[in-house]
Amino acid sequence: MAASRALIRRSQRYGKQKHEIGDTLLGRWFRVYIPVLIFIFITLFPFYWMAITSIKSDSELLDHTRNPMFVIQPTLQHYQALFTRTNFLHWTLNTAIVAVVSTSLSLFCSILAGYSLARLRYRGANAIGWGVFITYLVPPTLLFLPLALVINQLHLTNNLWSLILTYPTFLIPFCTWLLMGYFRGIPRELEEAALVDGATRLQAMVRIAIPLALPGILSAGMFAFTLSWNEFLYSLIFMSDTAMKTIPVGVTSELIRGDEFFWGQLMAAALLGSIPVALLYSFFVDYFVAGMTAGAVKG
Amino acid sequence: MSGRKKVQGSGWTPLWDRREFLKQAGVAAGSLALGPALLEACGGSSNPTTANGAAIPKPRAGAKVQLLQWNSFVPAADDEIRRQAAEFSTANNVTVTIQTVTGDQLQPKTAAAVEAGSGPDIIQMQYGWPHLYDTACMDVSDLMGALKSQLGTVNQVNDAFSKVGSKYLAIPYCQVPNAWSYRTDLWQAAGLSNYFTTWDELAADGKQLKDKGQPPIAVSLGHAYGDAITMWYPVLWDFGGREVSADGKKVTINSKETLAAVTWAINTWKAGYISQNTLSWLDPDNNQAYHSGLITATLNGASIYIKETYTTATNHKYAPVTNNAPMPKGPSGLETLNLVFNHAVMKWTQEADTAKAFIAYLMQQDNYTKWLNASVGYNAGPFQKLASADIFNTDKKLKPFQDVVATGKWPGWPAQPSKATAQSQVQFVIVDMFAKACTSGDAKSAIADAEQKLKRIYETPA
Amino acid sequence: MGTAISTWRSKGLLGPRIRILEHEAPLGYLLLAPMLLLLVTFLAYPFLFGIWLSVTNAQIGDNGHFVGLGNYVFERGDTVFLQSFANTMYYTVVTTIAKLSLGLVMALLLNQVFPAQRFVRAALLLPFIIPSVLSTLAWRWMFDPTFSVVNWVSVHYLHLPAVNWLGTTNTALASMMVVNTWRGIPFFGISFLAGLQTIPVELYEAARVDGATRLQQFRTITLPMLRPILAVVLLLSTILTFGDFTLPYVLTNCAPYNSTCVLSTWAFQIGVNGGYIGIGAAISLVLFPLLTVIVAGVLIGLRSEN
Repeated sequence: MAASRALIRRSQRYGKQKHEIGDTLLGRWFRVYIPVLIFIFITLFPFYWMAITSIKSDSELLDHTRNPMFVIQPTLQHYQALFTRTNFLHWTLNTAIVAVVSTSLSLFCSILAGYSLARLRYRGANAIGWGVFITYLVPPTLLFLPLALVINQLHLTNNLWSLILTYPTFLIPFCTWLLMGYFRGIPRELEEAALVDGATRLQAMVRIAIPLALPGILSAGMFAFTLSWNEFLYSLIFMSDTAMKTIPVGVTSELIRGDEFFWGQLMAAALLGSIPVALLYSFFVDYFVAGMTAGAVKG
Repeated sequence: MSGRKKVQGSGWTPLWDRREFLKQAGVAAGSLALGPALLEACGGSSNPTTANGAAIPKPRAGAKVQLLQWNSFVPAADDEIRRQAAEFSTANNVTVTIQTVTGDQLQPKTAAAVEAGSGPDIIQMQYGWPHLYDTACMDVSDLMGALKSQLGTVNQVNDAFSKVGSKYLAIPYCQVPNAWSYRTDLWQAAGLSNYFTTWDELAADGKQLKDKGQPPIAVSLGHAYGDAITMWYPVLWDFGGREVSADGKKVTINSKETLAAVTWAINTWKAGYISQNTLSWLDPDNNQAYHSGLITATLNGASIYIKETYTTATNHKYAPVTNNAPMPKGPSGLETLNLVFNHAVMKWTQEADTAKAFIAYLMQQDNYTKWLNASVGYNAGPFQKLASADIFNTDKKLKPFQDVVATGKWPGWPAQPSKATAQSQVQFVIVDMFAKACTSGDAKSAIADAEQKLKRIYETPA
Repeated sequence: MGTAISTWRSKGLLGPRIRILEHEAPLGYLLLAPMLLLLVTFLAYPFLFGIWLSVTNAQIGDNGHFVGLGNYVFERGDTVFLQSFANTMYYTVVTTIAKLSLGLVMALLLNQVFPAQRFVRAALLLPFIIPSVLSTLAWRWMFDPTFSVVNWVSVHYLHLPAVNWLGTTNTALASMMVVNTWRGIPFFGISFLAGLQTIPVELYEAARVDGATRLQQFRTITLPMLRPILAVVLLLSTILTFGDFTLPYVLTNCAPYNSTCVLSTWAFQIGVNGGYIGIGAAISLVLFPLLTVIVAGVLIGLRSEN
């Protein structure tokens, strides 16, 4: 635990360093503040646009004569409709459940596999290490049809478990790779000392290596959570009942009706489907950065 | 006369106001209370049989049936079918659930279900899907026979799509007719009195609109699931162009008739007599453009008219000045294309009898008419006896949407629907031919390109 | 130290010493088991089935029969396929370069000190967090043929003509690239930021003392130290962009006239919606050999450096 805290402190120290001479206020404006503002603008403008759209009434949305950047008569009717006339709350709950459980499952598999591939020596370790990465080359648009067959045979259709068990297929590879790098960065001496002291290998893994890898685990977890939250195709195919859908599927399948996009509600759902996760991330972003560090560099 | 009522509230409101609704409900309850005897005499009940007795199966108590369909533009129509499902369920001690997804998502879900061999019990087959998924759809010819004797002849397009070989693999459900909706005020402001009845007149009217500075006529040249093919297939056909021979074996697109059709399109488009902005238009785009006053006329389902007239979403901005008109004809005739839906009972279902009974229930005249009325003209019936509903009598402006049904054809006509016609439609070969020709101005190469694509679809051995 | 053994034993954790698990190989395989179980069931089997589909003339619901490389040969004559192939290459190369450079810039910026740093970092992650389907829909609304806010701004403020963003091939492809870049910068940015923060300050100070300019420091210190992470992030992003489906599908769905297809959307159109699943599978797998070679090459290169 102490080692990971040290790692975070170190990254914060590096992060806060001032860069060199010529550091006048004007210079900083040109080199730092203005570019940051530009980045923020480019990144966040679509979110501003979503927010504006979600509080515009339908007639304002279709009024092409008005300046679309501002709202004249804001209304909360779309948010209200989203909560009362759709199953948005169910979708959010489903998405959260799937994300949390599939992330946990993936982390469990990745931690074990990453430790195994990074630390232990045995035949095939190298090949499997690369094979894990190759799995990303298989496009999901090809996979979902045979996968539907498997899910049906397991009687998991319309069951959140169908997603929880299939999402790890694209979560595990990256997490494993990240954690492999992280485990490699932990000095062997620590575990070997524990082994000498009488610990079993498993104890050494659980009591020494994993705690030290915690930032990496956290960042792998955040990455996995995001991808799981994001996923669309499998969820569309495997989930049928409206109350069982996840956010991306529920929103697109019920807020687009034949000839009509319900833009107000769509954008409201887009915001509500991302802002809470972002807030969550803001608490963990330091860990995320620190965690990517060792894992990435040693990759 | 329960005419058009502009009811307060946001968005969607039912056709009837509260009093009317209770009255209607009372009638319905009363007829149920009168018992099976009366209902059988009227030809409908929750457990129907016909003269030949066993053709419509009885539902099995305790059965669970799922029906997958698109979510309709008219939420009230979906509400009505759900209500009927609930009614059927309680009357027969079964559970029928209706699942809806947006139109684009229906096909991948159906494909996945077919490939996996399991999924919903009844799937709404759009266009020629029964031919595409013929290995997965159950033979429902006997149910079809019973329904035909009950309801009369079938619309030719529903029939062509539902019948594969000599067997019926789906039961006709409905059509979503496409006709023109236009702004009468802008029309008059441009000095036009009548709506065009031929394609050449369309070009002339478009020219007039342009010269008088009015917004244009606009139709999708993009990959719009409905609007693009309901426009450009008729253009091709009305000039005499044919995609493939009647036996479905030889590609005949490269003809002087097709050249005439494409040349008409190029001339009209290039001169700006129809909007040049529609190459990326999906189905909702022309609706949006119309409701914000940016176009004068477009080809669409009844949704534009319905949204203006029957909902408060647009504050009825253009309701008084919106009228509808049927399809124009060309040198070779008048053909139309509408969205056509049928219900297939899937082979993997464990509850075939209940599924068939439910479909039959939906198609009973009084149930179906209630659903038609709830759709306020968006849908039309496929059987002779289901062709009319109160709404078409009370709202005369909906008549064009009835007119286009009789001349309806299907993608790939005059060949029978098949896997190949479905492939050609999904790839938007005909629409792309027109789109390419318009943007490049080169009719011959666009036709040649389409011909090459069609040859790969129709003439390459599987 | 003498009490260590008893300390470990008394902790009682993970039970008695199981002899076999003390050897590296059995333990190694055991630890791999959960991952392998999941991946074999839900990835390997569908993948092998997909490969099988690509060498048959299967249609949806009809298993067809073996045709060898027939599907691939057939697709060589398909103009849309050829264009999709070119579009996929073009799309991936351009967006990867854009994401790489802009991600690097973002990382360099975030490495500086400024107020509300944590908030800014979280905010800049938003494009990565929001479900791709929904953000692409929002962008479609921004590029809408009738109501595009981009056009509004350019017409009313910049006095440039309106552009039919999604209606002509080149602008539609450009729009796809813009959205992909917007969505992908955070991942590159955060990864590079992590890499930057491992570079010891002393290196820069030493270089400054030696008189190196900022640019020289960047070239001689920053870039080389970032190389490992650059390689892996680049690899992952390239692979995922080659297979990107949701963005092209929601934004253009191949319009206008099937000219903006990428391999994944074309495979979907012809295979899933059109029913020719054998051909669809073949199209999906076309890039697989090439990508395998690229991945192997990069990983070997990385390994030999280490």
